[in-house]
Amino acid sequence: MFDAPGPRFRRRVFWVSVVSGLVLLGLVALGLRQFAAGGQLEPVRWRPYLTWPVWRYLLGGLWSTVVAACATGVLAMAGGLLLALRPNRFTRAYAEVMRTVPVLLLVYVMLFVLPSFGVNLPLFWKLVVPLALSHAASYAVIFRAGVSAVDPGQREAGLSLGMPDGVVTRFVVLPQAVRHMTPLLVTQAVSLLKDTSLGYVVSYAELLFNGRVLANYNGLLIQTFVVVAFVYLVVNLALSRLAHRLEAARARTAR
Amino acid sequence: MSLVLEGFLNTVALTLLSFGGALLAGLLVAVMRIVPVPLLRAAGAVYVEVWRNVPLLAWLVLFVFGLPEAGVKMPLFWTAFTAIALYEAAFVAEALRSGVNAVASGQGEAARALGLSVRQSLRHVILPQALKNVVQPLANIAIALTMATALAGVVGVVDMTRAAQRINLEFAQPLLVFTGVGLCYLVMAAGIGFGARALERRLP
Amino acid sequence: MGRLFVAALLLFVAGCSGGSEAVPGGGKIDALLAKAPVYAGQVTPGSAVDRIRKRGELLIGGSQDAPLLSQLDPISGELTGFDAYLGKLLAHHILGKPSAELLSATSETREPLLANGTVDVIIQTYTITPARKERVSFAGPYYQSGQSIAVRKGTSGISAPADLAGRTVIVGANTPGVKAVQDAAPTAKIVEFGSDPECLTALKQGRGEAYVQDQAILVADASKDSELQLVGEPFTEDPYGIGIRHGDAEFTAFVNDWLRELGKSGLWQEVWKQTIGTVVTGDAPAPPAIAS
Repeated sequence: MFDAPGPRFRRRVFWVSVVSGLVLLGLVALGLRQFAAGGQLEPVRWRPYLTWPVWRYLLGGLWSTVVAACATGVLAMAGGLLLALRPNRFTRAYAEVMRTVPVLLLVYVMLFVLPSFGVNLPLFWKLVVPLALSHAASYAVIFRAGVSAVDPGQREAGLSLGMPDGVVTRFVVLPQAVRHMTPLLVTQAVSLLKDTSLGYVVSYAELLFNGRVLANYNGLLIQTFVVVAFVYLVVNLALSRLAHRLEAARARTAR
Repeated sequence: MSLVLEGFLNTVALTLLSFGGALLAGLLVAVMRIVPVPLLRAAGAVYVEVWRNVPLLAWLVLFVFGLPEAGVKMPLFWTAFTAIALYEAAFVAEALRSGVNAVASGQGEAARALGLSVRQSLRHVILPQALKNVVQPLANIAIALTMATALAGVVGVVDMTRAAQRINLEFAQPLLVFTGVGLCYLVMAAGIGFGARALERRLP
Repeated sequence: MGRLFVAALLLFVAGCSGGSEAVPGGGKIDALLAKAPVYAGQVTPGSAVDRIRKRGELLIGGSQDAPLLSQLDPISGELTGFDAYLGKLLAHHILGKPSAELLSATSETREPLLANGTVDVIIQTYTITPARKERVSFAGPYYQSGQSIAVRKGTSGISAPADLAGRTVIVGANTPGVKAVQDAAPTAKIVEFGSDPECLTALKQGRGEAYVQDQAILVADASKDSELQLVGEPFTEDPYGIGIRHGDAEFTAFVNDWLRELGKSGLWQEVWKQTIGTVVTGDAPAPPAIAS
């Protein structure tokens, strides 16, 4: 909706670029100076992160993160599907409550409340179950939106061809719904992976928790958590990128 | 019982302030992502990707324990506020951007075809509609932010969740305490939802 | 992921040329194990000892980040400290070899871990209190400690627990310190953090004026950190016990017998010398008397 750039406009863009570039550079320089003044940029403080044992430890944490995220994802999707397929007052209320109650509170309930009622799960499940309970609601919303985004004519067409309802859902509606949902599913996967960082609270040895142990051991707080944040960034970006590629491939075959 | 009140007030204050901060910062980033200046667009995109792909808890830990090492000292509450506001700003920016983009492609081009300038079409066509479009997504972000403030309890801020946990230790009434706190969050979210619907009706 | 792996591999290669750090505390445990007793008596089928022997491994709930008590070197995987060595000695006593696995617990998670049998014992500066006794059985006490106050060096005006009144005090989340501070100075403002290193960092960064924690932990912290200063003697009495699943009297008695044996043979003192004794001057104290 912008005009094709004319000479005056291009000049203006040029000057805005220069000024904003200088401002951004200034901000970065200011930050770096602050860190350098605190001695945080000294090579000694970063060199440990160039060694394999440190990475072996952090990647071990990443592996636990991925395992917890996968377990949560499977459970939450199953729960979300159940909730989405049976829309009634209970499932709607459930989704509404889970959308507003912090996962941390659920984790605390798992840690402190349920044991006194005799429900006491292993550590891994103390992280995974609250996450799954919470994310199931999000998945239900996504599934419902995905299904309702499919033109109702598609279902009617299927039914009028004499297919049973279940077959129509399975082979006509769902495949199209999945295509609509893919971007949201990726966002949800990223958010789920991030939420496993609550392992920090239940002392499940995932990436952030391992980062804490490492930082406590070597005293390099900033460096460790910057590296941990970087690992999260790389993994989540890779996840999004992979999903985009899958989506593109699916779009090609669907046509 | 003063602990409950303190926790509740802290959660409410943290929610309101961080949402205000997130709106401001998010608006700035969204503008950066929309203007036709490649450098600013890139900077905005990097901001969004970096902030939303790293867990908030990691940011909180980095801010609370990391920044003082670099000589940046703020009280706990304000450190948590900064981290939460900057984190949610990435989501606000995305909501604003997609709100504007949704209108801009069709309506914006129509307005331009009618001879309105970029500024006029933004002012009279795109922004009014975009504003209405983004109310609901922003309300969702506000609710998510309410939940996110619970994480501040992990890094020492006495918020509602942390208060609940401490009271539970003292009085061993877990069911009551945690249900009460859960209800508080529900009420806050309901308030946000109600406000958003009222706002949506008010907008033209 | 693939790219990440390649990056890690490159870092590994780079790291090899950089040389690796020395492993602290390695090897000390072998000398202790050589003198350690092994249980040769009767084992009731189905008892805790029987279960552990069938599994071939003792599962311990503890810390990874408590210097001098139970500190994991993330690089070498070695666990050192007073609690850690006791755990290995107990495993050796039951199994004849020190196969113990540490599951990291926090003060918030250890009771659930014990109740559902995820771990056999908790060895984690676990203070015996009447409230806890309702949920956990304790063997011991194996160490006598108490809540102490630490401040940044140069802090003035804090010399006794009552001086904490009206000040911001850092305390470990869900530790006995919370109640100790509330009792000693009801007007103190308490700030909680999840682990000892976090509390310590917070104190040094000025997020509170004092840090109340178990004396053994504070002594260990002060040994590593010259900025830290302990104030006065412990103002509570905290006997540490080994946490055992509630009601398992047989296993509790078994661990108590083992603790008595350690005390009598002088091995307890040697463990103390290898760990806490490396920073505390003077002779090893006498081990606390084991409750019957």
